[in-house]
Amino acid sequence: MKDIDGWKSVLTDQDRAKKYREYVTGWEKKIGSLLEWKLPEAGKIKSSEGILASVPFAVKDNIAVEGFKLTCGSKILEYVKAPYTATGVANLQKTGALVMGKANLDEFGMGSSTDNSALQKTNNPYDTSRVAGGSSGGSAAAVAAGIVPFALGTDTGGSVRQPAGFCGVYGLKPTYGVVSRYGLTAYASSLEVCGVCARTVDTTRTVFHAIRGMDGMDQTTIDYDPVSPEVKTVGVLKVEEGSLSEEVAASYRVSKDRLNKLGYAVKEIEIPAMEYVVPAYYTIATAEASANLARFNGMRYGLSPIFAESPDDLMRYSRNMGFGEEVKTRILLGTFVLRSGFQDQYYVRAQKIRTLIRQELDEIFTDCDVIMLPVFPTAPFHHGQSELTSFQQKQADVYTCLANMTGSPGLAVPSTLEKGLPVGVQFMAPPCGEERLFTVAEALEKEFPAPRPAGYSEEWRA
Amino acid sequence: MNKEELLTTASLALLELEEGEVDRLGEEIARMLDYFEMMTKLDVDGLEPTTHAFQKTNRLRADVLNNNNNNNINNAFNRNLIMENGNDVEDDFFVIPNVL
Repeated sequence: MKDIDGWKSVLTDQDRAKKYREYVTGWEKKIGSLLEWKLPEAGKIKSSEGILASVPFAVKDNIAVEGFKLTCGSKILEYVKAPYTATGVANLQKTGALVMGKANLDEFGMGSSTDNSALQKTNNPYDTSRVAGGSSGGSAAAVAAGIVPFALGTDTGGSVRQPAGFCGVYGLKPTYGVVSRYGLTAYASSLEVCGVCARTVDTTRTVFHAIRGMDGMDQTTIDYDPVSPEVKTVGVLKVEEGSLSEEVAASYRVSKDRLNKLGYAVKEIEIPAMEYVVPAYYTIATAEASANLARFNGMRYGLSPIFAESPDDLMRYSRNMGFGEEVKTRILLGTFVLRSGFQDQYYVRAQKIRTLIRQELDEIFTDCDVIMLPVFPTAPFHHGQSELTSFQQKQADVYTCLANMTGSPGLAVPSTLEKGLPVGVQFMAPPCGEERLFTVAEALEKEFPAPRPAGYSEEWRA
Repeated sequence: MNKEELLTTASLALLELEEGEVDRLGEEIARMLDYFEMMTKLDVDGLEPTTHAFQKTNRLRADVLNNNNNNNINNAFNRNLIMENGNDVEDDFFVIPNVL
């Protein structure tokens, strides 16, 4: 039986549903992964023949689901209700799956710890003094704790893969445009995509194929034209001494040894433009953010003052009260790089670097079927900025934002537990090469399946 | 970026910064801009800018009503649900606070 099938009766069987509710409540007290959750009553669930019939899942709270709020982890949208359902979610609902809750996130997806959520703190299920990663920290934590078999997240620069790595689960960032962004609150439109956190490779694959598809509501969706799933040669990114923490470096070596053991041809690779990836990524991401977040002004909906001197003041007060400091920082940075006189220096140059990075990766994929690289340079860190400042957290996006810059798919795979904390490793494939990622991940899953935090249980499942 | 530049940028973005924020955010932004300077080391002559991962041209669709059909209710975009989010609503209009 597939792992996911064990979930089909947790809501429909009264006894199991009761135990499931207790299980979710118990974990939520410890980790706070969900901003809002409600289990449908057994009697009210429509029977479905779908492949995910009655399977509960969680959705990051920057993705619209009718019947739930859409806070984006921000004060400015704290009481806003989603007026419609995102296409990716609607596609899953067609398979019978049921949304049970909305997962916490860094405000508007901006961060690597979920500490930037203005509404709630989310802890790592392996150690509650540490972060679950971000920005889809709630999605990854909920999956790791066994609250749901999978959850949807969004990935703009690593926001699905990094928390998946921190929580010891699988995290897929699909090829840009293969999954509709309709219903996703835009942050950096040319980089981001809806992704999947899940406990097994099989579930990741099932959910990916359920959510993808061309969508008339998103003119940037593309046809999924899969490349061959076969993997013979794995390019392993050469990582400079000292750029990874001791634990992550050790874990990376273990994953490399496993590839050798499994019989893959392993080839060391370098990406010369790598040092420019993060500055170019943040230039583009903040520029797009400054435009996308201009819509939140308190005029029609969202937080607003009861009185203002002028319409401009009304908007300024709303934005000032409603946005957290990280969001303001990125809006300001993005506004600055787009200002007249600075565009060529920053924004246009960043887009040219994006072209170069793409060319270098295309070259690598001519003789490597997939490439392996780290997810994040450290293991899950403690809450706050004492271990990694906000600036260091941004620099640490280097391995993940690469896939967003090129549009390629990337998958975080559990690699090892180091001192009791999960460490992941990442694989990237050419566009529409998701099946290659699943091929390698499935081989590695037999060597090291997703670990289980203390308190994890399946006893209420079938 | 000096303080004046920061305040001009904030005003363009309709953000009003409090005194403490000017220092804290200013410092973080200055650090990021320094970091962005690294991009000038690279010779980008002959490289075309990439604005979008795969699409090279705009995609157009027929100019016909093409409503979202993801909704459970009426299978169409639900205007009432949108209006419910208004801070203050009168008939079919959003009412904004008094501005003088």
